[in-house]
Amino acid sequence: MQIEKFPGVMLREADVEQGRVLTTQWQPNLKYGWDAGIAIGRFLSELKQGRIVGTKCHKCHRIAVPPRIFCEWCFKPFDGWVYLKDTGVVNTFSISYIAWDASRLEVPSIPAVIEIDGASHGMGILHLLGEIEPDPAKINIGMRVKAVWKPPQEREGAITDIKYFKPLEEGRR
Amino acid sequence: MTPLERITQLAQTKPCYGEIPTYYLYTFGIAGERFFREIKDNAKIFGTRCPKCNLIYVPPKIYCERCFAGLEEWLEVGTTGTVHTYTIGYVDLDGSPLEEPIILAMVAIDGAYGGLVHRLGEVKPEEVRIDLKVEAVFKDQAERSGSILDIRYFKPRQK
Repeated sequence: MQIEKFPGVMLREADVEQGRVLTTQWQPNLKYGWDAGIAIGRFLSELKQGRIVGTKCHKCHRIAVPPRIFCEWCFKPFDGWVYLKDTGVVNTFSISYIAWDASRLEVPSIPAVIEIDGASHGMGILHLLGEIEPDPAKINIGMRVKAVWKPPQEREGAITDIKYFKPLEEGRR
Repeated sequence: MTPLERITQLAQTKPCYGEIPTYYLYTFGIAGERFFREIKDNAKIFGTRCPKCNLIYVPPKIYCERCFAGLEEWLEVGTTGTVHTYTIGYVDLDGSPLEEPIILAMVAIDGAYGGLVHRLGEVKPEEVRIDLKVEAVFKDQAERSGSILDIRYFKPRQK
């Protein structure tokens, strides 16, 4: 049976604003402090020093970045830390015309996964590309890029201590 | 130095801080609107009655939860009840200690099926017991805003 008329009335914004209907409201104070853990904690601390650090596994000979404490291939702890270069290769990219809250961006951003030099194939971090036009014809998968760091005094131990990755002079790989 | 080393001091942690901005506004619905309107305007507690099951629902419902009939009979149920169960709270919403403990009780409204979860007042925690006869104490009309807190608390009835 099709319901033709639901009970009640449709409410409008004005009904609420002018107090024609009673309401209850609440603004929860949702703050959080989330510990980055051993591996990412050190990763972020090293970023503050201008270095990218990964972890290595002696069994499968992989070097992982971002670092983690556990090798998901060998089911064993990673065996140590290793410093990596701040250069890499674009693994994949996108051009985004909106910000995280869906507001429009005047200048599109170019999120990209960068495979970091020194880490195993396919290991990379998600970051932004800069100093390049947001034009799919000018960005290439496989192009070499280098991190552009914030000045040391502005770094705070966050992924944003790297401002973006810029194309390397040598051009394409 | 291996990744298995343990963090043993808070200063070694690397926390990320953030805030989730949220806000909600909730309307009471058909039954709730009338229920709270009566509390706000007239300081009265209303329920709805199912004639078939002979139950009076407080807070009111627009459907009988037993026979699923639509309920249209509204009636005033008075402001008295008994303590069905209670607990004593020593901390506030954030977990901070309260200066005065609060007594929260499920008050079964006399003659009705169901009741209201509310505060007890004008009574010491050690004097509260189950089946204590209580009555609602309303705020002054000017202070009432159409909220369950328009009832200030329930206090023990004088014998």
